[in-house]
Amino acid sequence: MTTTAPTDLPIAPEVTDPSLYLEGIPEERFAEMRATPGLMWHPYEEGGFWAVTRHADVKEVSRNSQIFSSAIGHTNLWDSEADALEARRSLIDTDAPDHTRLRRLIAKSFTPKNVRVWEGTVRSITAELLDEFIASGGGDWVEKVAAPLPIRVILTMLGVPIEDADYLVELSNYLVEGTGDQQSIPPDAFGNTTELRLLPFNSPASHALFEYGEKLAELRRAEPQDDLVTTLVEAAGEEGNRLSPSEFRNLFHLLVFAGNETTRTAISHGAMALADHPDQWGQIRSALATDDGALVDSAVEELLRWSTPVLHMRRTTSEATQLAGTSIEAGQKVVMFYCSANRDEAVFENPFTFDITRDAADQFAFGGGGHHLCLGAFLARLELAILLEEMASRNMRLTRTSEPKRARSNFVHGVLSVDLDVEIDAEIDADVDGGGS
Amino acid sequence: MVKLTVDADACIGGGQCEMLEEATFVLDEETMISAVAGTGELPRERAEIVIDRCPGRAISIVEPT
Repeated sequence: MTTTAPTDLPIAPEVTDPSLYLEGIPEERFAEMRATPGLMWHPYEEGGFWAVTRHADVKEVSRNSQIFSSAIGHTNLWDSEADALEARRSLIDTDAPDHTRLRRLIAKSFTPKNVRVWEGTVRSITAELLDEFIASGGGDWVEKVAAPLPIRVILTMLGVPIEDADYLVELSNYLVEGTGDQQSIPPDAFGNTTELRLLPFNSPASHALFEYGEKLAELRRAEPQDDLVTTLVEAAGEEGNRLSPSEFRNLFHLLVFAGNETTRTAISHGAMALADHPDQWGQIRSALATDDGALVDSAVEELLRWSTPVLHMRRTTSEATQLAGTSIEAGQKVVMFYCSANRDEAVFENPFTFDITRDAADQFAFGGGGHHLCLGAFLARLELAILLEEMASRNMRLTRTSEPKRARSNFVHGVLSVDLDVEIDAEIDADVDGGGS
Repeated sequence: MVKLTVDADACIGGGQCEMLEEATFVLDEETMISAVAGTGELPRERAEIVIDRCPGRAISIVEPT
């Protein structure tokens, strides 16, 4: 990795300190970067990276994977030794042709058409959680709805028994810690003996997740089922060994973590936004009552833009190039801030206003397009749309009774807890003033 | 109208093209590779949207020779 810091270029304000995010995204710092011509250099550890904050530039980096590689280095901010890179390499940290092979293996389960097969499952999981939330008189929305909903869905798809959902949520919470700078569990937690640097997010919880995936794979090898783990296991056994043991482990890890943490974040921020904007929640309820699918679709895109569950991804240049008029050397880190692209004034008018009627189809919550576009994008959209439908059919109205407790992470826009009250009211208040943004 | 083609090596099986323009693209569920269907033609404006949304950057316009 090239570590020489350019001397004559503007230095970016600090946006990597995980403790900053306890107060929310440092929006003013990103706004300053967006307004500065060219790219800013952000010092990080012994080196640094180019901070990409504008929508158009994130789009360009996302769609040019030959120059902006995911496989040289990896997609997290920090550097890793070669053995650590290999041990932790998932679909996210590959380029074509490895990426194409891995992606096609699991793509079938996530096409728009095939995701719809899960509609009934998503709906019954959502209904059960909402009914429990109402029966218990509200409370911590994250614990009661946002966390269990997506993990139950992805575990059902993978073929994991639902009894294990709580254990996997626990592992996932430790993984989020691993993206910050403080871990609350010791390196040998869960019987881990692997060096942490060889584990995703440097977390012993990754060891536990790998182990869990391998046990499940063994069960499915013995007795195939109609689920995603069976698909992966069968691919691994095919001629030419299409999926190595390490690829299986990391793919399982990725599906559990990404299928869970990201949607959970969208559901957390989404519910807060709807609670804070009762007028817009009223509009969604009216739209659902009159079968206005277009408004519901646009509301889902705005919820995604608003929540931006993954804050950034890194690329590393395979050759010298230019971006936004700035010269980048080969082997330098380039970090795309999706949270900033989703607040880019050049694309979204009044970007800090939550507005379900805006055209937010160009939001980058699933990345900026290109090969690494979120595999689960349609599943996430389905989960959000069904959540809106099921909340509306129950005449739910949420109000916020606490500030969110946010994750100490510069990588995920996580909410650890937020208390919401729930009222059941058949009357729709579409004209209430939502109180601005 | 413009005529479109899919680069089979670049397609990652995302299914976006089939979802956006189901008369013009079909995703083979065995190979997870898309191909053009029917005439493979779309109005230029629609074609540009599909090209932009394709995650594999696999769709392009066949320029008339």
